Amino acid sequence: MNTIKNIIGNFKHYSFLMQQLIARDFKVKYKRSVLGILWSLLYPILMMSVMAIVFSQMFKFRVEGVNYLVYLMTGLVMFNYFSEASNSAMTSVVNNFALMTKVYIPKYIFPIAKCLFVGINFMLTLIPLLAIILFTGNAAEGTKCVINVWYLLLPYVFISMIVFTMGLGLLLSCISVFFRDMFYIYGIVLTIWNYLTPVFYDVSILPDYARTIMNFNPLYIFITTARDIILYAKCPAPEMLLSCGLIALGTLLVGSFVFKKNQDKFIYYA
Amino acid sequence: MIDIKNVAMKFDLGIEKNFSFKQLFINILSFGVKKKKKSYFWALEDITFHVNRGEVIGLIGSNGAGKSTLLKVVSGVMKPTKGKVQVNGTIAPMIELGAGFDSELTARENIYLNGAVLGYQKDFLDRKFDEIVEFSELRDFLDVPVKNFSSGMVAKLAFSIATVVDPEILIVDEILSVGDIKFQEKSRNKMMEMIKGGTTVLYVSHSLESIEELCNRVVWLDHGHIKMQGDTKEVCEAYYLEQMGETMEESNRRRKKEKKEK
Repeated sequence: MNTIKNIIGNFKHYSFLMQQLIARDFKVKYKRSVLGILWSLLYPILMMSVMAIVFSQMFKFRVEGVNYLVYLMTGLVMFNYFSEASNSAMTSVVNNFALMTKVYIPKYIFPIAKCLFVGINFMLTLIPLLAIILFTGNAAEGTKCVINVWYLLLPYVFISMIVFTMGLGLLLSCISVFFRDMFYIYGIVLTIWNYLTPVFYDVSILPDYARTIMNFNPLYIFITTARDIILYAKCPAPEMLLSCGLIALGTLLVGSFVFKKNQDKFIYYA
Repeated sequence: MIDIKNVAMKFDLGIEKNFSFKQLFINILSFGVKKKKKSYFWALEDITFHVNRGEVIGLIGSNGAGKSTLLKVVSGVMKPTKGKVQVNGTIAPMIELGAGFDSELTARENIYLNGAVLGYQKDFLDRKFDEIVEFSELRDFLDVPVKNFSSGMVAKLAFSIATVVDPEILIVDEILSVGDIKFQEKSRNKMMEMIKGGTTVLYVSHSLESIEELCNRVVWLDHGHIKMQGDTKEVCEAYYLEQMGETMEESNRRRKKEKKEK
C-alpha cells in the first residue's frame, strides 16, 4: 500500500517535469517549420493517402466484406504508434545520459514521456481516421462503417496498447544501456514485426500455423480488437478484451521490474 | 540532516570494452594466458560523516580526490556501491548548472524546462519567473533561442534559475565565477546570502579563503578517503601545508611510480 502511495506521490511530483519534456519534444520537433504543429495532423493524412493509393489502387488489396481503407488505416495508425513510440522510448535513456549524470531525476520518466508524446500524436491521427470512417465506404455493398456503442471500448484498447508500449519501452531502454547494438537489432525486429502483423493483409490468407503464431503477437490482438469494433460494429470477444489488458499490465510489470532492478547501474554505462 | 555512513563508490574501468565482439574474439584467442588487470577504481572509500542542520561543511582535496563524486552521491545522482546516505530535507544541487537546457528553445522555455529538471513546480516558477529574469539581466533576450547566447549569458541564466530556490540543503560545487565581473560579484553575494541564510550547506571549493570564511567544519578528501575532518582552520592549514610542501622531487617520484603501476 505504501509503495503504491509512494509511486503516486512520485508521479505527481514529477508530472510537471514530464509535461515539460513532452512540450520540449513538440517545440523542438516543429521549430522553424512553416506549418509547425499542423504537421502533426498533416503528416499522417499525407502518409495515409500514400498508403491508401499504394495498397488499394496499385496492389488492389482487399479484405472481403469490409471497407478496406478503414481496415488498412486502423492497423496502420496503431502499428505506427507502436513502432515510433517503442523506438524513441528505447533511445530516450541513452540520449538523456547527459542530464542523468548531473541531477537526480527518476529515469523511468524518459521512456514514459516519449510514449506519451507519441501518444498525443497518435490521438491526432485518429482525426483523419475518423474522417475516413465517416466519408468512405458504400452502404449498398455493406462496407459503410457506423459509429456504434462499442466505440466506448476503444479507449480501453488504445490505452492497453500504449501501456504495453511503455512496458516494452522500459525494457528496451534498459537493455540498450548495456547493449547498444539493440538500437540496430530492434530496427530489424520492428520491420519483421510489421510484416508479421496483419496491417494491410487479412489473416485468412495465411497458412494455419502462421495464424496460430499470430495469437502471440500483441499488436495483432490490439488491432483485431479495434477492428472488430470499427469495421464490424460488434463487441469484441471477451477473451480478446481480457488479453489486451493482461498483455498491457504484464508487459508494464516486467518492464518496470527490469528497469528498476538495473537503473542504478545506468550511470556507469554513460 | 545529512548522514553519510561508510560510503564507498566503485567505478568499473573496464566497462568501455567489456562487452564487444572484438573483446570476445580476443578473449577466445588468448584463453589461458589471461592477464589479470585491475579494472576498477574506488572513487570513495569508507566515508563517514554527519552534517547537522544549519551547518556549513566545506569539502577540500586535490583534483580527483572524490569531492564531486561525493556530492553526486549525496544529491542522489549516484547510488553508493556500499554504505548508506540519508538525507532529510529538500536538496538544491548546484553541481552542474544548466542541466537539461535545450539549445533550440528560448530562454523563457528553458527557464521552465530547467526548473522542472531541478524539481520545481509550475506555480513556483510562475511566481519566481520575474525574479529569475531580473537576476539574469536577460530580459531583452527572453525569446531568443539559447543556442544564440554567449556562454556567459547561458551561465547567467542557469545560475539565476538554480539559485531562485529556498532549499533546506544546498550542495554547491565551485560555480561562483560565472559571467562578467559585475555578475560574478552579484552571484557571489547571492551564494553568500544563501549559505549564510541558515541552510545546511555542503560546499566544495579550491579557494581556501572562501572556505575559511564560510564553513563551520571542513572535510579533507584524499584519494577517496577522509584524510582529516574537523575545525576549519586546522584542516585548511594542514591541507595547505601538505599541498605546498610536496616538493617537485616528490611529485616527480610519485608520478613515475604511478606510471609503472599502469
